[in-house]
Amino acid sequence: MIPCAYFMNIFKVARSIWIGMGITLKYFLNHKKTLCTIQYPKEKDLIPARHRGIHYLETEKCVMCWKCSDICPVDCIYIEGVRGADGPLQGGYRGQKATLSKFTVDYTVCIFCGLCEEPCPPKCIWLGPEFDYHSTDRTMMEKNLLTDEVYTEGDEVFVEWARGENDRLQEEKKKQKEAEKAAKEAEKAAAAAAEAEEEGSDAEGESAE
Amino acid sequence: MNLFVFTNFFAQTGKDLKNLGDYAEAASTKWGLAEPGVYYEGGLFFAGLIKWLLSTTEVSSALPFAGTVNGLMTSLAADGSIFPELGGLLITIGVVFGFVNVFAIGAVWSERKVSAHMQCRLGPMEVGPHGLLQTVADGLKLLTKEDIIPRLADKPLFAIAPAVVFAGVLMRFVPLPFGDKLIASDLDLGLFFIAAVGAVEVLGVIMAGWASNNKWSLFATIRTATQMVSYEIPIGIAFVTVILCSGSFSLMEIVNQQGGSLLSADDGYTYQGWVWHWNLFRNPFMPILGIVYFIASLAECKRAPFDLPEAESELVSGFHTEYSGMRFALFFLAEYAAMYLVAAVAVVIFLGGWWSGIYPLDALGTGPDATIYTKTLGLLVKVGVFLSKAFALVFVQMWIRWTLPRIRLDQMMYVCWKVLLPISLLCFVGSCLWELVSGGASVFGFGIVVE
Repeated sequence: MIPCAYFMNIFKVARSIWIGMGITLKYFLNHKKTLCTIQYPKEKDLIPARHRGIHYLETEKCVMCWKCSDICPVDCIYIEGVRGADGPLQGGYRGQKATLSKFTVDYTVCIFCGLCEEPCPPKCIWLGPEFDYHSTDRTMMEKNLLTDEVYTEGDEVFVEWARGENDRLQEEKKKQKEAEKAAKEAEKAAAAAAEAEEEGSDAEGESAE
Repeated sequence: MNLFVFTNFFAQTGKDLKNLGDYAEAASTKWGLAEPGVYYEGGLFFAGLIKWLLSTTEVSSALPFAGTVNGLMTSLAADGSIFPELGGLLITIGVVFGFVNVFAIGAVWSERKVSAHMQCRLGPMEVGPHGLLQTVADGLKLLTKEDIIPRLADKPLFAIAPAVVFAGVLMRFVPLPFGDKLIASDLDLGLFFIAAVGAVEVLGVIMAGWASNNKWSLFATIRTATQMVSYEIPIGIAFVTVILCSGSFSLMEIVNQQGGSLLSADDGYTYQGWVWHWNLFRNPFMPILGIVYFIASLAECKRAPFDLPEAESELVSGFHTEYSGMRFALFFLAEYAAMYLVAAVAVVIFLGGWWSGIYPLDALGTGPDATIYTKTLGLLVKVGVFLSKAFALVFVQMWIRWTLPRIRLDQMMYVCWKVLLPISLLCFVGSCLWELVSGGASVFGFGIVVE
């Protein structure tokens, strides 16, 4: 009478402990490779290109058309400045470089919907990768994009990366569209050719008859 | 033997002085009390060493206060004065207490690092290089915290409980060696003392849980009482088996026997001290018993997977839910000190103590042509070997904690009473028979002489 279940139980427990400890030891020894965390404020992870953080304004391109503040559903963008004289057509909008004196976004109000990006003729405002901002005062959350340092030096890399990524994505989209177009055209052409061939063969057949 | 006097710094009274003993004699002579050839008590060694250092020209010229302290010590050591004994005692307590503190700081840091690395995290990184000073910062924070005692708590019991727990652990360091001859007091009943004083810790935990007047703490107390009392039995059987094999309760004696013939090289035996002289390989039952002891010792110091007394997710934090500030820190310190303690006891009774298991390394500093340098080096090697073995076992404790989930109460009782107890009893009987049949020889056929 050997209590088999009893010894099997002990054996199973010992085996599972052995396996479990093997796994943890493997992770412990390879901790440099398996590391999942970063030292956040010191190093930042790359943020997805379409992340909607604090606005990034390319001031020199802005034509001060107010379209962004018009479309803003919560009216959080305030712009002041002198618009330049009418110039050549630029991005679908006839305007010249404007002299901005104030371009303020109230981040207690902004909902980061990204609608301001869409109507901008020179595509000079877009929601960037910066997300960690804070203030001890509500009024301080109103950031003037011209003077306040929302994007610090370290962020330039991410801004550049996000910008490049944006461009790349847009190019990809374009290419995809073109490819789709080309494919459709090719299909059409093929269909037309097939039809023509059919007709031709019919004609040939007819002629042979 | 008076337990509260840390007598007898060196291992075997009356045996010829080796290594440190020579220095201690010299140091005690300098202390102004010595008569050559008389054996001096433990704490005196440190005091004597300090005085000896202070009176050397290099030190006294470098430190401006050395002469003053030296003079003070000389005047304190007048005939009939109790200051040398008292000073020695305080210094010994200071050394042990300091070791416990430093170990706890290091162990908390490494526990956090080990857990982090097993979970693909970094762990503390901010305070000091790789967060080394994080625990020091935490300790400072705990020191400055308010000492809260709940209104409905039993105040005297509540206040004294952490001290009782910590004292229970610290007292178990008395017969525990740190290396060859480095021991607070080589008690004749060392292992028995360790097992007995372990019960004081349970008492403190029960006091803490009961006095908190908190349902979680009370539950934790009940669990602690069942757990720690149950797991003392496999530990006790492991102790008894080792005592039976080595014929001594003294931790120094048990370790010395595992060093092969180094203890008595002139008794006609030609074998030398190697790994297979460790108790772990003494008979086929010892490795199993070692594992049983290790599992039971995890439960004894309330480590995962037996951390039911704390059980953060069920009992908030168990018996120290209501504690804050320095009282909480004392519980924490006691826990980590107990971790080292059970590991060190395992090293002493199974893993050969300070013997590295490599004969040439162990023999360093012994023999007729040993100089003061080789003796010192040998001593340091032995301390290093002992500590590294103990720390390796502490790492295994951490490794287990971050691998296994907490077990249920009934599973905990099952493991103790239905698995560990029968196995340890079988090992005990097996070891008895082995000793009877082989006449004290180990598996490898080497006789071990019990004097």
